[in-house]
Amino acid sequence: MFTRKRGGIIVTTLLLRILPPLLTLGCLGLAAMVFTGTSFSELTAWQPDTSHLQAFKIMFISLILEAFPFILLGVLFSSLLQVFVSDEMIRRLTPRHAIGGVLFGSLLGILFPLCECGMIPVVRRLIRKGMPAYIGIVFILAGPILNPIVYTATFTAFRSRPEIAYTRMGLAFVVTVTIGLLLYRFMKTSPLRESSSGGSSVPGAALAMHAGHHAQGHAHDHHGQGHDHHGHDHDHHGHHHGHDGAGGSRSRLSSTLSHASDEFFEMGKYLIFGALLTALIQTGLSREALTGIGEHPWFAHIFMMGFAFILSICSTSDAFVAASFAGSFGGGSLLAFLVFGPMIDLKNTLMLLSVFKTKVVLWLIALTFVLVLAGSILTERLFLN
Amino acid sequence: MNRATVDRRLLAHQLLRAAILAGFAFLIVQLDRSGNLTLYIAPRMSIYVKLSALGLYATAVYQLYAALQTWIGRRAADCDCDHAPSPSLFKNVLIYGLFLLPLLLGFLLPDTLMGSTLAAKKGMSLGGSESISRQAPPRQTPAAPTPAAEQPSTEPAAPLDPLDAMFPADIYTESYARHAKKLYGQELIEVPEKQFIETLTTLDLYRQHYVGKTIRISGFVYRDGATPEGQFVVSRFAMNCCSADSMPYGLMILSDEAAKYANDSWLEVTGTLGLSQHGDQEIMILQAIDAVPIEPSDTPYVYPDYDFGLD
Repeated sequence: MFTRKRGGIIVTTLLLRILPPLLTLGCLGLAAMVFTGTSFSELTAWQPDTSHLQAFKIMFISLILEAFPFILLGVLFSSLLQVFVSDEMIRRLTPRHAIGGVLFGSLLGILFPLCECGMIPVVRRLIRKGMPAYIGIVFILAGPILNPIVYTATFTAFRSRPEIAYTRMGLAFVVTVTIGLLLYRFMKTSPLRESSSGGSSVPGAALAMHAGHHAQGHAHDHHGQGHDHHGHDHDHHGHHHGHDGAGGSRSRLSSTLSHASDEFFEMGKYLIFGALLTALIQTGLSREALTGIGEHPWFAHIFMMGFAFILSICSTSDAFVAASFAGSFGGGSLLAFLVFGPMIDLKNTLMLLSVFKTKVVLWLIALTFVLVLAGSILTERLFLN
Repeated sequence: MNRATVDRRLLAHQLLRAAILAGFAFLIVQLDRSGNLTLYIAPRMSIYVKLSALGLYATAVYQLYAALQTWIGRRAADCDCDHAPSPSLFKNVLIYGLFLLPLLLGFLLPDTLMGSTLAAKKGMSLGGSESISRQAPPRQTPAAPTPAAEQPSTEPAAPLDPLDAMFPADIYTESYARHAKKLYGQELIEVPEKQFIETLTTLDLYRQHYVGKTIRISGFVYRDGATPEGQFVVSRFAMNCCSADSMPYGLMILSDEAAKYANDSWLEVTGTLGLSQHGDQEIMILQAIDAVPIEPSDTPYVYPDYDFGLD
């Protein structure tokens, strides 16, 4: 029955659901206007300019297409890792000593190149399985950068300036080791959120509860959430015991593909959104506007870091975006973009907040920001000039 | 939520995803078939993009297979790793819309060449590559490791080879110096597609020695607010890996008939090289002897030549 109260609730819910995205769009629109220097009166006289639309299309499509190989590669690796490598193996290999642990976390990405999106749930599971938390966090920070795929992508994008690739790796290594040691020294309690997974999906919550139960060695039964046990005939993170090797290679393959395609869509939306934003900025903003910012000694770095934060683009393809700014921005600010972005960005932060306590995430962001800013300025002075 | 609704929703997701993945694979194939892939991607990257089309296709096939499984009631490869699609309709519309946008743009809009619009946004380079630093007067060049140059002076009466004194270099510009000596001896200096940027950079590095020489260059016509009357730029887009990082490089042309040539039209210009002021910079300028309209080249974009300097 349609009562006033129900009507009110429906309207409120609708508003709450629709308003925030609408406002965001509005803000973006206003920002775009600011960027392109248009005023409201110009807008009303605006006629569609196909050359701009075509320029936008070229930038947009090419950014997406050239990132596809790297994303697919990253997604494939991530899925293979999750299906074929057991958590116990990693836990056994993890060193206990602080320095060794930090080095291990930083360099693990070389063996297991994962895009940052696939990494966070994996690390959460590893920490729950007994990996020291600081190593896991170091892995989250370092993994997206210190791996061969990203190195190749950076080297390819900056073919005539290989020092960018070297310094990216070097600075990332220094920053993550520093943060890791600081965490080891100062982080005494578990950084994980104690509630079940922050994800809203019900299977996820059930999974977290499973993981919690397993840690206590309880025998479990799948709480009937439509968890059809017969469907689980393959290796499954958090479900290894009793399922190890139970699946044939065909079901492992289908599990890999399934995971890969899911991850592709999860990550792809950030890539496309990032490409959209970049294409808009490249088409709308002229070089002169950026040159003013780009030549500033340290504001350029902060600008690029903020840009990287908003863009949230995958680390396998952000080198190409950075290269497109190489004309107006100096090496140091590009470096800041390339090192800060994969470690901390909008998408990343949202995922981190769902896994770690807020205070921990805030500290991480602050530490990374300061270290990358200082490091990039220093590196620019020492190596890029 | 009963079993039937979940399955139907899952089915919708899987079918939509299969369609999107296949759509992207098809887009790449179609671009490749029509020869337009190089309008977006540098040739050396195109093999990887084509491989990724295969990967996309494989994933699309898998999604179809999974959809089939859902249809017949069996929940295949259940990966409970927080990848369950969001239940919110609005979010899903937004996300899938985001994926559909490039597909729509890719298929519905024609494939065009990058031209003046983008060149204006990116900023035209009138002297070749900007990342090679231009030394001030050559006498300040540090001692070059090239064995031939013994004195860092510009006096043509240097020992051994006079050319070495004319074209001094350090380790970064060594290959340009070698190329410069080769060009210096030519009657007509052509700016080729293969070494477009490198040739322009070479000419610009040692521009004072090329004044009066005949140069030939082809590309599209470009003008912006700062281009004086009677002048225009003939330029090409140089791509490193994709159009996002491409930059326009060109040569300023001085011609009585400048007004005849519209922006984005393609020309082959032959002329005599001179020097001029552009803003507060000295640039090379070509006094046109002859300008011939041409069809846009089959390879409209130029690329860094990785064999440069290895001859």
